[in-house]
Amino acid sequence: MTEKSGTALSRRQLLTMIGVSAGATAMYQAMHSLGFAAESKFQGPIRLSGAPKGASVLVLGAGIAGLVAAYELRNAGYQVQVLEYNARAGGRNWTLRGGDRYAELGGETQECRFDPELYINPGPWRLPYHHRGMLSYCKRLGVALEPFVQINYNAYLHSRKAFGGKPQRLRAVQADYDGHVAELLAKATRNHALDAEVTAEDQAILLSSLRSSGALDSNYRFVKGPDSSERRGFERDPGGGLSARPAFSEPIALSDLLRSGLWAALSFGALYDMQTTMFQPVGGMGQVGQAFARELAPLIRYNAKVVDIHQDERGVSATFEDISAGSSRQTVRADWCVCTIPLSILGQIPMNVGASMARAIAAVPYCTGLKVGLQFKRRFWEEDEQIYGGITYTDLPIGQISYPSSRFFADGKGVLLGAYIWDMRNSMDFTSMTPAERVSKAVEYGSQIHPQYSKEFDNGIAVAWHRVPSAMGCFGLWSDAARAEHYDNLCAFDGRIVLAGEHASYMPAWQEGAVTSALDAIDRLQERALAGAAA
Amino acid sequence: MNKKRLTPTAAAALCSAIALASIVFSGLLLEGRARADTAGILDSEPFTSTDGRQIYEHVCRGCHMANAGGAIGAGRFPALTKNPALGSRQYMALTILMGRRNMPAFGAKYAVGFGGPPVILNEAQIAAVINYVRTNFGNHYTDPITAAQVGALDRSPH
Repeated sequence: MTEKSGTALSRRQLLTMIGVSAGATAMYQAMHSLGFAAESKFQGPIRLSGAPKGASVLVLGAGIAGLVAAYELRNAGYQVQVLEYNARAGGRNWTLRGGDRYAELGGETQECRFDPELYINPGPWRLPYHHRGMLSYCKRLGVALEPFVQINYNAYLHSRKAFGGKPQRLRAVQADYDGHVAELLAKATRNHALDAEVTAEDQAILLSSLRSSGALDSNYRFVKGPDSSERRGFERDPGGGLSARPAFSEPIALSDLLRSGLWAALSFGALYDMQTTMFQPVGGMGQVGQAFARELAPLIRYNAKVVDIHQDERGVSATFEDISAGSSRQTVRADWCVCTIPLSILGQIPMNVGASMARAIAAVPYCTGLKVGLQFKRRFWEEDEQIYGGITYTDLPIGQISYPSSRFFADGKGVLLGAYIWDMRNSMDFTSMTPAERVSKAVEYGSQIHPQYSKEFDNGIAVAWHRVPSAMGCFGLWSDAARAEHYDNLCAFDGRIVLAGEHASYMPAWQEGAVTSALDAIDRLQERALAGAAA
Repeated sequence: MNKKRLTPTAAAALCSAIALASIVFSGLLLEGRARADTAGILDSEPFTSTDGRQIYEHVCRGCHMANAGGAIGAGRFPALTKNPALGSRQYMALTILMGRRNMPAFGAKYAVGFGGPPVILNEAQIAAVINYVRTNFGNHYTDPITAAQVGALDRSPH
């Protein structure tokens, strides 16, 4: 039932897999080194005491960090001005829907041709339950949330090199991995291989737990039968009447499962950042930025390209070009500056800060991620394959396919996330293509998983983050070494300027990093402002 | 490993220091490096082409664009045409090896991956893409760089 991948497993790989939840451990370590698994430091709504009389703050950038800073500082009584490059608020918090036009660097303009109520979030798209800052602002700003389906046992794991390229249901791979590992461990226990580590009394409990966790039969075997089929699914589901009798399904053989490599994707849902329940704003992630924009409307100056930032002992000036009006230059000034411009851009803007902050700004390359949204004539993933939300992971360059978590069972067209590429090899390759080529490639690859693609494809849109004029990169890619040397210098006040954004957090790419960095920055700003006013 | 990224002054100083030194070419290429553990099942194949044009079109073009004209948004991606920095092949090599601001490093000693291994270009690949850029897009430089020269820059103390 399978094609051999031909890659022999090393002893180390085998040992790693036999460890409980090994994929999750390895993944956790990788993510942790990037700062991913960090818990939000959000401690409930910030309570800044009153601003010193007449105190003013210039906020550069109206992404999540800038919006949070502006919102809280305004509420505390500061005079706030916000400069934003785009003609909209939100920054990377952004939703593309039908009728939107998007011009990327290099001059290509795409028009989104999705049907009403269908959308794609080119940037952030999900909110973990413990990102309390983002959830709190959604609640305060009236942004309705709905569940985001991260884990769907009926979605696929797919590798070109395994099972003849036939996608496997997550349900089956998970059940078989758990079952085989439990059986091996039960064997080792009953063969007294664990006598040195586990007491006889505990061994009895361990065996019971392995039967439970691995769906083993009464002989501690993971085999075709009622126990395994209750996890991995049936060959023929139980029903009613004369056609009621179920047919059990055959588990994948251990060796085939190990060599498939599909086990490596089992841990995603176990990650702290991906555990259920996750949320998404109803109508797209961009609802958050739009809600802030409504709150702060008179304070935000759009189409403002910052070209110079200069501080002296009394305040900070920012010079900007109005890119909607022939690049005329203007300068605004305030007592303090919260600068949330991505480092990919800030590193090119003249700004008189000390060497340590300047070196920190230059120390962080940006991830090359990109997404492709595809509209299809019908929701075939639901109608044909009973996939309602969740994610299929694949070894194809598209990385994953995500099914919409809203409007289940709706008639009419549907939009998939047809590619979410963040490994550098494939994302650089896709960024190098024209938008039309990216969409075409996403359809070509995706049809290897869903053959319906070729018949049902309608239209698509592709956003490569290095080509987004306001971001020029996806998110700050801190190495451990760079973080050790530069992170504190990046976050520390330099005179009257403080930086905020996901790049100034231990939660790269997550909006919660932007929220918590902004709150941390304005808390320190308030201290300084009050100290200055008292002096 | 010192993971400092390249600054223009450091690069200029380094280039002149190297130009003055007599360099022994080792000719050894760092092939077949161990790949970092990949996250998930994505198969991120190493980029192996040693053809300068292929490297440009699959790795560089995303930012520097099809005509090497770069781009201007809130910031800019430098043009690789009519750009005096191209006059120094050593500067180009060090920029590719070590990265510069939001441009990732491609040297094995400096590259940072995400969701898989980083894109690593070896000495031969870096030389190939430098020579391709410096002789295309309206550039007509006649002093190619060799893989060994890139390797010497990579091993030089900095």
